[in-house]
Amino acid sequence: MEIRALLSAMAASKIGPLLVAAQVAVSLAVIVNLTYVIEQRLAAAERPTGLDLRDMFWVRTQPSSPDYNYAAAVKADLAYLNALPGCIAATAADPLPQTLSSFRFALTLRPPGAAGPVGGVDANMYLGTERFIQAMGLRLIAGRNFSPDSVTGPEPDMMTVFSHWAPEVIVTRSLASRLFPGGHALGKTVYLMDKPAVIVGIVGLMRANPLPPLEDLLATQVAIVPMIPPGPDGTYVVRTQPGRRDELMARIGKEFAGLQPGRFISRMEAYDTTAAQVRQGDRASALILGTVAITVLLVTVVGILGLAAFNVVTRTKQLGIRRALGARRFHILRYFLVESWITMTAGVSVGCILAVAAGVEVSRVYQLARLPLYYLAGGVLLMWAVGLIAVLVPALRAASVSPAVATRTV
Amino acid sequence: MLLHDLRLALRSLARTPVLSMLMIGAIAVGIAAAMIAITLYHARAGQPIPWKSNTLYAVMLDTRAADVSPRYPQPHAEYPPFQLSYPDARALYASRIPVHAVMMYRAAQILTPARSGLQPFGVSARITTADFFATFDVPFLYGSGWSRAADDAPDAVVVLSRYLNQKLFGGADSVGAEVVLDGHAYQVVGVINAWAPQPRYYDLDGGAFELPEDVFLPFGWLQARRLMPNATVRCMVQKARSGTFFDQLLTQQCVWLQYWVELRGRADRDRFQSFVDSYTAEERRHGRFPRKNNNRIVDVATWLDMHDVVGDESRLQLVLGFVFLGVCVLNTLGLLLAKFLSAAPICGLRRALGARRIDIVRQHVVEVVILALLGGAAGVALTLAGLAVLERLLFLSALKSGNPYRVALAQSLVHMDTTVLLSALGLSLLTGLVAGLYPAYRVGRLDPASFLKAQ
Repeated sequence: MEIRALLSAMAASKIGPLLVAAQVAVSLAVIVNLTYVIEQRLAAAERPTGLDLRDMFWVRTQPSSPDYNYAAAVKADLAYLNALPGCIAATAADPLPQTLSSFRFALTLRPPGAAGPVGGVDANMYLGTERFIQAMGLRLIAGRNFSPDSVTGPEPDMMTVFSHWAPEVIVTRSLASRLFPGGHALGKTVYLMDKPAVIVGIVGLMRANPLPPLEDLLATQVAIVPMIPPGPDGTYVVRTQPGRRDELMARIGKEFAGLQPGRFISRMEAYDTTAAQVRQGDRASALILGTVAITVLLVTVVGILGLAAFNVVTRTKQLGIRRALGARRFHILRYFLVESWITMTAGVSVGCILAVAAGVEVSRVYQLARLPLYYLAGGVLLMWAVGLIAVLVPALRAASVSPAVATRTV
Repeated sequence: MLLHDLRLALRSLARTPVLSMLMIGAIAVGIAAAMIAITLYHARAGQPIPWKSNTLYAVMLDTRAADVSPRYPQPHAEYPPFQLSYPDARALYASRIPVHAVMMYRAAQILTPARSGLQPFGVSARITTADFFATFDVPFLYGSGWSRAADDAPDAVVVLSRYLNQKLFGGADSVGAEVVLDGHAYQVVGVINAWAPQPRYYDLDGGAFELPEDVFLPFGWLQARRLMPNATVRCMVQKARSGTFFDQLLTQQCVWLQYWVELRGRADRDRFQSFVDSYTAEERRHGRFPRKNNNRIVDVATWLDMHDVVGDESRLQLVLGFVFLGVCVLNTLGLLLAKFLSAAPICGLRRALGARRIDIVRQHVVEVVILALLGGAAGVALTLAGLAVLERLLFLSALKSGNPYRVALAQSLVHMDTTVLLSALGLSLLTGLVAGLYPAYRVGRLDPASFLKAQ
């Protein structure tokens, strides 16, 4: 293989290969980074919630009169909902998991101002009844659920919620292992500000809400507090028997508001609709970025094809002479493929540097970890494959040029 | 002469239809990517009230504790909190320096329609002092706002948005009618016209590109009816206290009010700054404001900048759009070079027949310009299509909301206005020239003799 001849031929008309290499370099940087962002976005949207969102819906009541008695209403509502045929469990809940609302507080091992390390861990708090775990479809892996007597509230407002904190709490496995890295979180006491609570149960996975990948660990740190949320808005989550969700939603829509005077239903939604809406932005941006990445790739392919086709046309005579002197079709094909490979390699080397440099900014803006190296490897392989395939058709055409036709002068 | 060049150029383009299509396509796609990015950026970077850039200011006081190291890294730890506490706002409101002063916050109210059979529904409410409407140049359709005296009484008056007026009263003049909010009656004194400053600069909490509130109530109702804010409230609470949240809210511990002033000009800004500074200096003697003086009185542009309304993502998208355009320029450059050089024999013949170098170059530049304009036109069409698709993808909930003002808002965020459209045409010309000048030059430099001799 006459590498030197090939290289000097390329050097004689540098501009063509340089343009292709430049396009390849920029395209590599763009495609690698876009693919990374897309994959991370989709992964964030698809992460398991730990909840069983099928057959679940939520309903919110709001007062239409200042005389609305929330405290009496919420107890009657919970009794009514749990007695409905087709309902497995119903709980009051604040905030709603898998929405954009959250209460986040630090749980500590000792009250503030005590001697010794205080050890605060951030946790997402959910207020609910003893049916919370069942209604959400969570799995209790250690300890026990709350007893109905330990459910306190409702308090008049969020301020007094903190001053009358419940004595028990259930945490997720992730939170338990961060609070007590050696295990044995069950039975231990944790503090919210200066109020203690005993960990009576541990549940498996629960994700509070979709967060960017760098904050995802925080989303799995959840504490459930047995307390009826303060009103006057009441939010209830209902788990139904399979297939009965729509029937129960229709029934609630008709009957529920009228059970208590002075209120109305402000919103009722199936839970999987709610969860899908929160992820809609991630999915939309994945679609948009994916389109951009594919288009960039197509434009680069066109560029490679153009240059290769041009090379074939301008070198027809030269190729004809080589064939006449004994080169086989295979040699011509190989010549074009090697030439393309050299151009692509020059392009991807510069492209890798650009990709890493761009990756720093992309990671910062989209709050992702640093670009993993296997993305670069994949991008390089893709570009090589694309370069070789794109040049294949013109190369085959060049190889099948008949030497007699190519060398004639009339 | 030009007509001849034109004819040559068109014939040349028609000679290689596939290649010409590819080049037009490449330019179109590149222009579309850049223009979509520019449109989205431009929509977020607008100045909503440029005529008051010297007179309208937001006020920020640094109430933070001295040694707080936040658990979550803040992007700008040097900025004071954007909102004020109730006692501070009340103290500043006493100053006579500003022409207008506004303290306000967002609340949620339940509106019970008068017509029976209609469900009650939630509305967003702005609880504000009287100067709000004059300060932010809010246009009125019917009636007007209320006076400062009405703030203090407080009068049971309300101003409605045009959308709400349409929903409740069919768009008629409802001044004097009654509206029931949270079970209490208020009398309508004004209906504002369609008003949606983008961004909603007077309160950027909860999203910068939202509609203004539907209901406006005098500030005095905060205390009279204990109207809780439905927005971000930041309190420095060390341990659980007795007393309700509302009592907590009115102390110095919580910041949650927006405070704006309209001053006569930049000279008055310094006067007002010294007033604010002397207030905080006095309070510092009582142990508040432990940090060094960090009071800020900022104009709207600075306010928007501090909130980074445009956002890093928009900027990155803008870069991406131009990088895409760059790839397309390189692409077109290569294709043009290939096409022009492979048509070299024809140019050689023309040179032999008397054409000068400059004629050849000019003829090719005309071809490039035509290509660029065709590509630009296709690019603009592609941009509009792309923006329509984006509107559906990004703002689906706004489009389905049934509120024509929300729909208009979503559309304005993907709307290509005339300046952007003209810059599209300019950009495509520039793109074409950048891609085409070098190939045209190269073709002009060719020696005709080498093409004329027999192969």
